[in-house]
Amino acid sequence: MRSKLLLPNRFKWIGILLFIPFLVLGILSRYKEFQIDALTSYNHDNDIFTPVQNFTDELALSGLILSLLMIAFAREKQEDEFIYHNRLESWEWAVLINFLLLIVACWVFYNEAFIDVMMYNLLTPLIIFIVRFHWVMLRNKPSEEKN
Amino acid sequence: MQNTIKVERAIKNLTQADLADKIGVSRQTINAIETNRYIPSTILALKMARVFGKKVEDIFSLEKGD
Repeated sequence: MRSKLLLPNRFKWIGILLFIPFLVLGILSRYKEFQIDALTSYNHDNDIFTPVQNFTDELALSGLILSLLMIAFAREKQEDEFIYHNRLESWEWAVLINFLLLIVACWVFYNEAFIDVMMYNLLTPLIIFIVRFHWVMLRNKPSEEKN
Repeated sequence: MQNTIKVERAIKNLTQADLADKIGVSRQTINAIETNRYIPSTILALKMARVFGKKVEDIFSLEKGD
């Protein structure tokens, strides 16, 4: 109803389908130093950028964010005031939990491990929102449909 | 706030899904209202009352602390 920023419902499934390959790509590029050779750029006559730059990790991160955004902003089949309320409340939870986790993380993780945490932290607001929103939708599914 | 939607549905022999379709909301919304997890807007309360052929006050009532 009031939410004008939403995408059509099918984007939820497109988002899920895209999330899986980008997640695999992200893990491979972060932990196995996997690179797609076609995404390497060579800037020999440029002093600002490093001469050889590979964009596999950039592709993975953009893809992960975009696919999570699609899932989070996909319209439900029947949007109404309760779902709108659920959306707002879930964003509230997502921001709150995200920053509470960040406070804990900054005391627990240091150096390389903290960089890893910061990277996950780029995605956690979206993930917490998606989980909380769908958990409320599932909990309120009419009992006659649960069987 | 309390409500008697479950009773009214039983009288009219409607499932949560039937009621949801009649007033154009999701099934989850009806369930959330029935289980007191969500307080509907005035518009939605009026629509529900119209389906049951009753006044809003006959279906929804204030509780202590409201």
